Amino acid sequence: MSAGIMLKGMTRLISSVHKLDPGRFLHIGTQAPQCLAAHLDNQVATESPRAISRTSENDPAKHGEQHEGQHYNISFQDLKTVFSHGLPPRFVMQVKTFNEACLMVRRPALELLHYLKNTNFAHPAVRYVFYGEKGTGKTLSLCHSIHFCAKQDWLILHIPDAHLWVKNCRDLLQSTYNKQRFDQPLEASTWLKNFKTANEHFLSQIKVQEKYVWNKRESTEKGSPLGEVVEQGIMRVRNATDAVGIVLKELKRQSSSGIFRLLVAVDGVNALWGRTTLKREDKSPIAPEELAFIYNLRKMVKNDWQGGAIVLTVSQTGSLFKPRKAYLPQELLGKEGFDALDPFIPILVSNYNPKEFESCIHYYLENNWLQHEKAHTEEGKKELLFLSNRNPGQLERLCAYL
Amino acid sequence: MAAARLSASLVLQPRARTLRAFSTSVSPATRSPRPSPSTTERTSRYGRPLRRKALPPRTEKMAVDQDWPSVYPVAAPFKPSAVPLPVRMGYPVKRGVPMAKEGNLELLKIPNFLHLTPVAIKRHCEALKDFCTEWPAALDSDEKCRKHFPIEIDTAGYVSAGPSVRNPKARVVTLRKTEEWEKTKTEADMEEYVWKDSSSEKNILETLLQIKAAEKNLELSKEELLGTEEVEEYRKSVVSLKNEGDNENTLSQYKESVKRLLNLT
Repeated sequence: MSAGIMLKGMTRLISSVHKLDPGRFLHIGTQAPQCLAAHLDNQVATESPRAISRTSENDPAKHGEQHEGQHYNISFQDLKTVFSHGLPPRFVMQVKTFNEACLMVRRPALELLHYLKNTNFAHPAVRYVFYGEKGTGKTLSLCHSIHFCAKQDWLILHIPDAHLWVKNCRDLLQSTYNKQRFDQPLEASTWLKNFKTANEHFLSQIKVQEKYVWNKRESTEKGSPLGEVVEQGIMRVRNATDAVGIVLKELKRQSSSGIFRLLVAVDGVNALWGRTTLKREDKSPIAPEELAFIYNLRKMVKNDWQGGAIVLTVSQTGSLFKPRKAYLPQELLGKEGFDALDPFIPILVSNYNPKEFESCIHYYLENNWLQHEKAHTEEGKKELLFLSNRNPGQLERLCAYL
Repeated sequence: MAAARLSASLVLQPRARTLRAFSTSVSPATRSPRPSPSTTERTSRYGRPLRRKALPPRTEKMAVDQDWPSVYPVAAPFKPSAVPLPVRMGYPVKRGVPMAKEGNLELLKIPNFLHLTPVAIKRHCEALKDFCTEWPAALDSDEKCRKHFPIEIDTAGYVSAGPSVRNPKARVVTLRKTEEWEKTKTEADMEEYVWKDSSSEKNILETLLQIKAAEKNLELSKEELLGTEEVEEYRKSVVSLKNEGDNENTLSQYKESVKRLLNLT
């Protein structure tokens, strides 16, 4: 299937190359001489135009600085399992339109991959936080690192947007485990379903180390596979949040033993220490720690376990009671959040640099996404540059109209 | 002479008005000319003496190396025309700046020390020298001064806040003692971040202990762990991050110090 797409792409490209005047081509060529040189060595000569915005290296483990600015393909298999619930909605629409999932390799993600490759699994898990202005690509950088870990056969614990758990919850039940806390059955069961698709093969290997009693008739014995707990949570929606809590606890305990490597990825981690918009029946507000899921997740992002890594993003989009222009870690996390995550490695995700911008425009042109006749001209590019200020999210929205 | 002219002008005016009623036959040339006061004269048409024009302020005639103590020899209110500094004071309204010094009441209200510049004080000292005796040679250290002339601490059981800055007690400095309720100051009240006994210290200690335990290196004690250079750098970066807030500089410093601490390349 991917070969067919590649052929289609090549024919489209050759036709679009004829449309582009040679002056344009030279301009792009001078911008990326080193990647052309690197790729001409190991690629067929007809594929060299694609080297500008694409690379054929689809394994994130092999991505390096020479791939910076280029798009790599994520196979549909990975999309279904690993990214069943992680990608930003606009990106999902783009994938459906172009019929391919291509992610740009950028420097913040490369930096994180470098750290992940050199992780010492005997030491406590290190926390990495992506921060940056709105639309710069934090979530996609997170997804890039998740893809890497999935390919390296880590267990992925991905919470796509922590903000979804602190607002707009229809039904809050009083927790069966702890009367002070609240359960969120719907969100928990959806999450468990996605978790199951992502980590199917692990669920039978990992065994629980304790007996868990759900109610008078059902219980999970010690030594049974974790998949049973997940099934219980999906079937009995009442116990879903408790099932999530058990999964988190067991994974944390067992990752230190070395059977598997755990990646905890949370998008919008500043939701854990912010405020919620949920209220009790008497209209008094609920603090985040009174939600059982948030309470367990806070324990998960602490660095008191070994055998993995914790990758987080702080984002203002979707956050509650935070000003629109806030993007720095301390602003979004607050004092409590910072103290809980300290020490962590902050990684800045910024707007596209000129090379990445060119590559993105080229990718859209390749897929015939930009239909405006002036889109491939120099003035058109300058206009897009000016309007979007090289912000990836903004550029994507602008190009959607063209 | 002036009175005659005045009456003449008063008399002429009604005639001018009646003449105007039959304006068609009367040409402007036949109208009797009214005496118009020239600019050099100080009389007005309507009987009130004119105010004399404002002279340029004294600041424009001041040389840069003038003798300042002669401008302000004693404590005097702030005179905007005599102080050559472009001072501004006041709360700016929207899209504005603080008010300028001309006509600024705020600058008048506050006490100023324009009469006590170092040059003026030097002159006072020179003048007073004749009346002074030598400093006693025996009092050559701070402890001896404190022993023989201890500072008296006077506590007042009230707080007085009045509209006037001229309260004579305002010039007397009193040293406070710590109140009982100050002991209940919590971390949230602190004006600036103190690293000792903070949660950041605890976190880093736990992390380091775990790392050492993983490497089977349990000989190091808590003080030794906290005394290393990397921890010191980390402490500095956290303090600057908390006190100054987030900016590129503090964040990159913090990142480097954490990388070094956790041995990441």
